[in-house]
Amino acid sequence: MFTNLNQQNAAGSRRRFLQTTALVGAGSLAVGSGVAALAAETVTLPFVNGDRSLVKYPQKRPLILLTTRPPQLETPFSVFNQGLLTPNDAFFVRYHLSEVPTEIEAETFQITIKGKVNTPLAFSLAELKAKFEAIEIVAVNQCSGNGRGFFVPRVPGGQMGNGAMGNAKWKGVRLKEVLNQAGVAAGAKQVTFNGLDRPVNAQTPDFVKALDVDHALDGEVLLAYEMNGEPLPMLNGFPLRLVVPGYFGTYWVKHLNEITVVDETFAGFWMNPAYRIPDNECACVEPGTTPAKTKPIARFNVRSFITSLADGDTISPGHELTMRGIAFDGGYGIREVLFSPDGGQNWHETQLGQDLGQYSFREWTIPFRPTQRSAYELKVKATNRIGQSQPLTPLWNPAGYMRNVVETMRVSAV
Amino acid sequence: MKKIHPDGWLTILLTCTTLSLTAAPVKIELPAETGVFKTGPGVEIANGQCLVCHSVEYVATQPPLPRAFWTASVKKMREKYGAAIPDEQVEPLLEYLAAHYGAVVTNPVPASISNSVTKIIIQPAPGAAASATKYGCLGCHNVSVKIVGPSYRAIADKYRNDPAAQAKLTEQIQKGGSGKWGPIIMPPFPQITPAETKALTEWILEQK
Repeated sequence: MFTNLNQQNAAGSRRRFLQTTALVGAGSLAVGSGVAALAAETVTLPFVNGDRSLVKYPQKRPLILLTTRPPQLETPFSVFNQGLLTPNDAFFVRYHLSEVPTEIEAETFQITIKGKVNTPLAFSLAELKAKFEAIEIVAVNQCSGNGRGFFVPRVPGGQMGNGAMGNAKWKGVRLKEVLNQAGVAAGAKQVTFNGLDRPVNAQTPDFVKALDVDHALDGEVLLAYEMNGEPLPMLNGFPLRLVVPGYFGTYWVKHLNEITVVDETFAGFWMNPAYRIPDNECACVEPGTTPAKTKPIARFNVRSFITSLADGDTISPGHELTMRGIAFDGGYGIREVLFSPDGGQNWHETQLGQDLGQYSFREWTIPFRPTQRSAYELKVKATNRIGQSQPLTPLWNPAGYMRNVVETMRVSAV
Repeated sequence: MKKIHPDGWLTILLTCTTLSLTAAPVKIELPAETGVFKTGPGVEIANGQCLVCHSVEYVATQPPLPRAFWTASVKKMREKYGAAIPDEQVEPLLEYLAAHYGAVVTNPVPASISNSVTKIIIQPAPGAAASATKYGCLGCHNVSVKIVGPSYRAIADKYRNDPAAQAKLTEQIQKGGSGKWGPIIMPPFPQITPAETKALTEWILEQK
């Protein structure tokens, strides 16, 4: 039994569909454990070896399972057509290390600020909320490797479609104010962030990320304790995570409990050699080659998607549709989104929807009336306020980061 | 008008107080791990080494990449992530991964992943400790410190006065864990021979 759940295939020519496998055998029920790893449905992402299970995790609806330990979950693309904010229970999950916290007492949780500061400090969650102004911001979080499965030639790493992203309203306190209270010492260069997740093997580098001091003090980076009006789900970093608007998710450290100011460029594994991109304008190299020089991954590039149709959908000739989708960038704001109904030959300006801030998804809409019975190649291309846009052919780098090609959706009018 | 019984107020007050003082910790239970490696020669090494740190999908969801990719990946696991895979297991593990998850691929192989594996010397200890190294036990168990699983000393302490200790540990090794020590469940190690298992369990129970 095949059920088309309106999933978007962003790049492939093959139709993506959900396959309801309807497990009925007794063996399919995780009896007694109370937590059922019950994969009742599977989804096929449109690349080789793209079969995935939809699995329900605590505080989550069934999501596309990439890995079980540590948990990595991708958002089914149809969710992005249901609203500009991604619901907490549909928000993607990415971890690096398998010792994932599963039980945290918010009352006893503490975050420490130490290193090159005048006064090392520790705050409980209640103290953070009481001492510092609460700030809300709508911001996209996107995995560095979102869309890695579409890379050609293929590259190793988490093989995701385009669902490793989400847009939420984050509430928290400014990192700047917390750091200022501790007093950043002269000569400080970077600030490092560590959370409660830990490696299984003591030899594996702990997941620690760093931002330059100027970035950490820019007033935009938050220590967030709420997401869409609720406490963070455990798998999204309860009770506190770093929110780095416009920057890839690798910096959004979860279960954040340790902030250290350092007077050097932090050289931990997860900053170098991990999460590096080619040090050039396009962050790309000739497919199959190695960059001569790399730098840490940083801001999002521009992306846009159609969400109102899925690849392989059938539409009716002569019937007007409202095409709809989303666009976002690294924080300059989306200036325009163009729509092409004919594989990129003609481009039409779409209407932009409500502006929830320059770090948010921006909705676009445009009427589209297919005139004849034929196949259609639909594309969207966004440009931000500083003129950055999307390439028509994909850029490549060895780690499979920062995919932002103008995606192609194939539908047919019959 | 609805009248509230005096006791009703008391109940409400008590409830509020209880909530504010002893809010329960947020606790989740992760779904069980169900994926397994494809069977074939060398699967025991994949089970014993790879599954120490991550579930099978880390391997199984990769595109069909050539052997050079798996060579680079195992090298990375050993050098960057500290996987204690003994030298003599590297070749059979690569054979297994390339045969079951690799491909004769037309993609060019990036130079960055085609380097050969640097030799890492892991000195095997004699006897049971050698088995612990060989099967990757030490990835999760240290003699004195809890890593993923309990330390061998903690296990010995727990079963110190249990006459069925050896049988219990044997079953644990052969069939895998039940999660009684924590959220990460030990995989089964049926590839460890009965003689090795006996030596291992005796050695573990001797730890003080």
